[in-house]
This record gives sequence, structure tokens and C-alpha cells, in this order.
Amino acid sequence: MNEIALTLFLLVVLFLLLGSGIWVAFSLMAVGMAGMALFSNAPVGEVMATTIWGASNGWALAALPLFIWMGEILFRSHLSEDMFAGLSPWLNRLPGRLLHVNILGCGIFAAVSGSSAATAATIGKMSIPELSRRKYPQRMLIGTLAGSATLGLLIPPSIILIVYGVATEQSIARLFIAGVLPGCLLITLFIGYVVVWSLFHPQEIPPGETSLPFKEKLAHSRRLIPVLLLILGVMGSIYTGIASPTDAAAVGVLLTLVLSWYTGSLSKKTFIEAIIGATKTSCMIAFILAGAAFLTVSMGFTGIPKMLAGWIGGMHLSPYALLGALTLFFVVMGCFLDGISVVVLTTSVIMPMIDQAGIDPLWFGIFLVFVVEMAQITPPVGFNLFVIQGLTGLDILKVARAAVPFFLLLLVGLMLIVSFPRIVTFLPGLM
Amino acid sequence: MRKYLDSLYLLGCWLAACCLCLICLLVVSQVTLNLIDRLSMLLTGSAIGLTIPSYADFTGFLLAAASFLSLAYTLREGGHIRVILLIDKMPEKVKRFMEIWSIGFCLALSLYFTWYTASLTHESYVYHDLSSGMIAVPIWIPQAAMLLGLVLLCVALADELVTIISHNTPSYLKNSEGLLVEEQMDDKQVDL
Repeated sequence: MNEIALTLFLLVVLFLLLGSGIWVAFSLMAVGMAGMALFSNAPVGEVMATTIWGASNGWALAALPLFIWMGEILFRSHLSEDMFAGLSPWLNRLPGRLLHVNILGCGIFAAVSGSSAATAATIGKMSIPELSRRKYPQRMLIGTLAGSATLGLLIPPSIILIVYGVATEQSIARLFIAGVLPGCLLITLFIGYVVVWSLFHPQEIPPGETSLPFKEKLAHSRRLIPVLLLILGVMGSIYTGIASPTDAAAVGVLLTLVLSWYTGSLSKKTFIEAIIGATKTSCMIAFILAGAAFLTVSMGFTGIPKMLAGWIGGMHLSPYALLGALTLFFVVMGCFLDGISVVVLTTSVIMPMIDQAGIDPLWFGIFLVFVVEMAQITPPVGFNLFVIQGLTGLDILKVARAAVPFFLLLLVGLMLIVSFPRIVTFLPGLM
Repeated sequence: MRKYLDSLYLLGCWLAACCLCLICLLVVSQVTLNLIDRLSMLLTGSAIGLTIPSYADFTGFLLAAASFLSLAYTLREGGHIRVILLIDKMPEKVKRFMEIWSIGFCLALSLYFTWYTASLTHESYVYHDLSSGMIAVPIWIPQAAMLLGLVLLCVALADELVTIISHNTPSYLKNSEGLLVEEQMDDKQVDL
């Protein structure tokens, strides 16, 4: 059997398994087994046990449950109220007013949490009732939330970047720092869009509240200080090289616990809920990663990634054409798979192709996160859509329609980082 | 029986949660020691060289234990990701058949994986494999935690299979609304 047929065969098996409802981690393992058993003479079971054991006990991977735990604690704290109170007095003058709370709130929360679903849930549970009470246009309210919550993936700490870093053996610290500027770029794009939209639709934005004196504004914003210190501490220690991401995550958990104890939102109940939630989420991700690790090794045995890389190399595509094709492919895949599965599948099969094309794997990680962000807000499978559907009870297609402009803005952002890769590589280059 | 099995899965999850707490504690202690070292460097000009021996190894072992011990509970809670886009649209009878296929397939795969993990652990035990750090731990000990987690997973899958064959709803369907539930959502529904 030639290798193209083999690749197609395995791809069909994968989609049959996934489509028939087999859990993602098991599907990855099964395809790995099929590939190895059919096309190599290696002992499948032994390789499987050894690979998965090896992939499950890494030091770098330990950052994953810790950052998830930190997000779970913050999700159950008063943080979302603080965010609303601290941000809203400053936004009265800006066209679009409180819509920007969604964008900035998500941006700030993203800097302490690594998941976009957690970001959407935390910010949304405060901003949706507050903004709809003030009669902000529903479509913009939902759209800004769905769009900006995807920042949770890009702005460090980021679960997806940890997964990518572990799977491709890239430095997680450098990946984190690389996400900072693109994250700021997206925030700027989102704010810009809301400002322009509001200038064109002034009658839809409710009047602002009475402006507070500067001093009072500052007093309100005092509530944001703890979380800003938390961001500064966690990211600062990674950037300056004092701490590895795992160290920073553990200290972050401790500080978050102290913070929520101090503000009175830590009880025995919330502590237990948070740790059980973190255990479940990180178990789910770790299991997918385990399956992907085995799939990667098995793919190595079959020689498919090398063949694909050679095939792409033989076509003499420009990197732009390759990236364009990949973007299309990922967006389609992202319609049916969640972000983590997309990333692990990519790293199992596509990485040699990327190397072959001479694309910087650090930059490619950020590129991948952009694409996964877009996948988060495309129906029928998009985590952010589910979360917002859960928060508002709106139909998922309605939420998706509201998110369309933000999907396009993400696409603009993607083109910008493709045209100006320095946006990504500048900060890590300084480290 | 139901009660015993449920507390068994919960126990696994609790052990996993404890492992996470231990990871956090371990890493925070190491960071504190680093800080003390830096301070002493500033004050006296020489570092004491405080480290918890092999702490990176221990963190990894605890992580593996945490990931595998909570597998069964996470499955029961509907925490593992799957695509139910297609099977959700099918008529009830086909759906039930697809669920049996999913659970059966995963059970077979888990049994296979568990078998080879058991043999890996057994080999580590027989050959006295040690971890490579300063404190050499017999590697079968952390591997046994992974094995235990996988055994629990097999039990949980068999449990679900019996449930669905006896025409009851599997626990992961009861506990997760729709597909891909990641976070516990606020129940609050907002009028817009």
C-alpha cells in the first residue's frame, strides 16, 4: 500500500471513530495503534505503555493543572464584580462605553487564566446582566464577549500554549512571552472596531452615567490592584527568568488562594469545587495529550509526517500559500473539533512539514493559537459559543452570528502576524 | 454495589486532587528555598544551595498519578471530550447502539492499555528500575499509581456498559448537558 493511501485510510479511521462518539483521547490512541500495527513491526502495546508513561510525568506539564486550578479559584471569587466596578467608570467617554468592559475585562482575566471558556464564563456572568439591564445592543454585547474571551488562549498563561510547548518541545516561557504583543494587537483591533461601530450607530448605545471625579474613579479602580499585582508577579517572574512557568503557576495558585481568602470569597465549599474542577479539566487534557503522544510516536513509525513534509517540499509552495492552506484546513477542522485536539493532531502530523518549510516553530505556535481562537467561535463546535449559550440561553447560531465580525477581526490579526512576524518574535528575542 | 463503586471513583478523584495540592506545595517550597538562597547571596555573598532533591521528578510522578487516578471519575462526570454532533441527531435506538459501541470500544482499548501498563510496571519491579534523580525512586511505585488509575477506568467503563445494556442512561450522559461541557456553568439564565 502506498503512503498516500495509508494516510487517507488513517484519516478516515480517525474521523469514523470521532464521529461515532468515541472519546477524543481514545480515538487518537486507536488510530496510533492501527497505524503501528498495520504498517510497522514494532510491538504496539509495549510502545504504547512506555510512551504514555513518559509523556505523562513531565515537569513542564505540571504547569497545566496549576494554571487551570488558578483559573478555577478566580472563577469562584469576586473578581468579576471587581473588574466591572474598576473598569466601567473610565469608559464613559469612549464610543461604545461599557461594551469595552467585555474586551478589557477579558484581556485582564486572560492574563491570569489560560482558558477561553473560563474567561467567557467569568466575565460574562457579570457583564451580561449588567449590560443588558442598561439596554446595550444584544448583538454587540454577545459578540464582544465571544470574541474577546478567545484572548484567554493567547494572552499568557495559556493552556493551549502549554500543550503546544510540551508536544513540540518548545520553551513554554518563550511561547508565553510571544503571546503578549499579539494579544495586545487583538485587544486594539477589537476596541477599534467597537469604537467605529458605535460612531456609526450612536442611537444604539445607551447614554453614559454621570461621570465621576477623577479621584473617585481611582478609588473604584483600587479593587483591580490585587489582580494586576497577580498578573505582574506571575508574568514578571517568568519573563525575567526567575521562575519557570511551573514555578510561577504554583506561586500563582498560592497567591490566588490568599487573595480570595482575603476578599472573603474562599470557603471550604469553593475550595473543594475549585480543586475538583481543576482535577477533572486537567485529567481530560492530560489524557488527550497522552493519546497524542502515542499517536506522534506511531506516526513516526509509519513515516507519514516525513512523507507529507517531503511532498509539500516537492511542491515548492511559498510559506504564504502553505499557511493559507493550513488556515483553511484548521478552520474546517475547528468546526468539528475542540482546540486542544486540533493542536495535538497538528503536532503529531504537521510539524515536520513546518520545519521543512522553514517556519519558526515558536511563531507557528502563536499562529496556531490564532486559528484555534477562530475555531472557538465557529459553529457547530465552539467552546465559547457553548459557554455563552449556557450563560444567556440564546440559540448557538444566534451567538455565532453575533461573533462573526470578531471572527473576521481575528483573521485580520492573523494576516498581520503573517505579514509582520516580528510582532510575535520581538519580545522572546529580548529574553 | 452502586454506592461502593461511586465512592471508589470519588476516592480516585480525591487522591488526584491531593496529588495536585502536593505538587503546588512542593513547587512553592522549592521557590521559597530559591528566594532564601537569593537573599543569602545578596547578604552574605554566598548561596546556601538549598534544594529539595529531585523535586522535578516528584512533581512529574505526582502529575501522572493525578492525571490517571481521576480518569474514572472524570468519565462518569462527562468530563472527557467527545464529538456527539452526529450521534445526537440519530433516532433513539441507533443512538443507544452507538453508545454501546463507544463504551465497548473504549473498554476494549482500556483493557489492552491496562494490560501493557501492568507488564511495564511489573518489568520495572523485576529489574529494579530507578528514577535518575538525586533520590532514586523505584520507578514501579509511580507507575503503579498510573496502573491503578487505568484499572479504575476499566471498572468505570464496564460499569457504564452494564448500565446501558440494562436500558439505563449512562452516568456520563446524565451528568453532562449536551456536548463538550468543560466548566460548571452558572445556572443563572439571563433575560436579554
